[in-house]
Amino acid sequence: MLELDGLRKRYGDKTALDGVGFTVRPGEMFGFVGANGAGKTTTMRIVMGVLDADSGEVRVDGHPVTYDDRRGFGYMPEERGLYQKMKVAEQVEYFGRLHGLAPSAARAATAALLERLGLVERRDDAVEALSLGNQQRVQLAVALVHEPAVLILDEPFSGLDPLAVDALAEVLKDRAAAGVPVIFSSHQLDVVERLCDSVGIISAGRMVAHGPVAELREREGRGVLRVVVRDAAPGWADGLPGELTREGDRDVLLCEEGDDQVILRTAVGAGKVEHFGRRQPTLAEIFREAVA
Amino acid sequence: MNGLMLVAQREIRTRIRTKSFLISLAVSAVLVAALAFLPKVLGGGDTYDVGVVGNAPAPVAQLAYSRLPDEAAARQAVIDGDVDAALIDGGKVLANGELDQRLGLILEAAHRDAQIKAAGVTITPLQVESVGADAEYQSVRTGLATLLVMVLFFLLIYSAMYVAMGVVEEKGSRIVEILLTSVRPWQLLGGKIAGLGVLGLINLAVIIVVGLAVSFATGFTADLPPGMAGILVSAIVWFVLGYAFFSALAAAFGSLVSRQEELNSVLTPMTTLMMLTYVTAYFAALEPTGTLARVLSLVPPFSSMVMPVRTAAADVPLGEILIAGVLMVVAVAAVLLGAARVYRRAVLRTGARVKLGEVVR
Repeated sequence: MLELDGLRKRYGDKTALDGVGFTVRPGEMFGFVGANGAGKTTTMRIVMGVLDADSGEVRVDGHPVTYDDRRGFGYMPEERGLYQKMKVAEQVEYFGRLHGLAPSAARAATAALLERLGLVERRDDAVEALSLGNQQRVQLAVALVHEPAVLILDEPFSGLDPLAVDALAEVLKDRAAAGVPVIFSSHQLDVVERLCDSVGIISAGRMVAHGPVAELREREGRGVLRVVVRDAAPGWADGLPGELTREGDRDVLLCEEGDDQVILRTAVGAGKVEHFGRRQPTLAEIFREAVA
Repeated sequence: MNGLMLVAQREIRTRIRTKSFLISLAVSAVLVAALAFLPKVLGGGDTYDVGVVGNAPAPVAQLAYSRLPDEAAARQAVIDGDVDAALIDGGKVLANGELDQRLGLILEAAHRDAQIKAAGVTITPLQVESVGADAEYQSVRTGLATLLVMVLFFLLIYSAMYVAMGVVEEKGSRIVEILLTSVRPWQLLGGKIAGLGVLGLINLAVIIVVGLAVSFATGFTADLPPGMAGILVSAIVWFVLGYAFFSALAAAFGSLVSRQEELNSVLTPMTTLMMLTYVTAYFAALEPTGTLARVLSLVPPFSSMVMPVRTAAADVPLGEILIAGVLMVVAVAAVLLGAARVYRRAVLRTGARVKLGEVVR
């Protein structure tokens, strides 16, 4: 269990974080979204101890996080960094050792990870000789080699092709299934929506929304009724509350009030009803609304 | 400590396999071998080639005889410069123009010795005793000291540069952000300094071994002053101290920038200090008993080069060595602490160059 509580950070006059807090349970995959400069990276750096918060606390399993706890975390920073001239396997092994693995354990873990990430043939190549996608996999291997107790990944999907995104998603699901709290930030909201149990939206250093994805969609839909009717005569909705927009040959009616049964009967009388239900905004819609 | 060892190990393993390291080892070995050969080559002027016609005279250390068939051949050999002079039947000397004065004296003495011996008289040669301390080794010791100045300077600046470049590599590539989640800043800094220091020591060891081996091979060791072991140990100890001092400075200054191109300008204070140390050490080698040498051999960081050079060039009282050592150790500790502080605060601040004033407070 990872808890962030009231994190604040200022750089000079600029407030980077203004009371950021959320909880990630064991086995939970938490998607961290926000515009550029909203405070995602700062938050993750504070969790990893790379930055110190001005106030607030990060707790793991109920106690304030220590240096030794963090050695057991896996971290992929936004700015990727690897020793360009070091060989792939050697590098992953080195980080395993730095995280406290014994030499044989580090070797075994490296071999297993490279197999899993499809890097076996590149194990003795210098990192600089690898494609960017493969370098990203090495970066992930470095974050995973010591079987971390908590995973913090800053934009792990950026720059990956769809297949690599799937492969990475599988690995992350795996870790979460093993009971590890996983936090990752991303601008690819569809990926976040697909993968995450819960999301947090940060804007200008504050959490504007967070919680389980389904709950969030429900809540942010605010019970608005959405009706889609095809081939309806113009003016059919004149007596109804709500807002009517036309998309091609479809009419879309959004109603925040009114008798849903009356609306349904009117719609059926007007044309072919293609959709009738409470609006479930996509994460992208929620996001736009939240940060606007 | 474990983290520090791992970092040091990586530095050694990565660097020792690079071409540039092997090349630098080879270059320093060749240079030192050449320098050790030099006295032998220059010493060629100490012996004279003398052509001999007729009966051979008694052997003399400074003369190399070569047999010639007759006087005509001897004349030709002298004119052609094949021999410095020719001795005809033990009684006449042929020279090209005026006979070299020293050669003349040697030939004369040999001629006299042969006649005295023939007359059955034995004479006891003069006994020479040196009353100045090791005066006979003075030129060798000065030469050794000058050589030491160059070796120490080259190794110190080279090793310190690598520390700075390593720091910038890790900062610039942002790998430091991951590293610092698994090792502490002092472990990362200390491991880098220790690892590259071991490589510097390997380089110094190669230089010493090659130098001594070539000296043995050429018979030059006989000319080496007594107490060579002490001179070498002092060179190694002072190298370690000087390296710790300058590499810590290099790491601190290096951590202020994110790009290798900015390194030269940010390191200027350190390189200037090294150049000053080098220049004073060079003068100390030429004048090891002067006031400048005596004072600066006590003051860190000048002592790191001036003291070993002074030790090589002249005899230094043990008390002064101890004072210099203690002062230098204190200075090294202070610089390491300060550097760790600057490094810790600056190494994650990527982008524009960090001002020293912002991180020392």
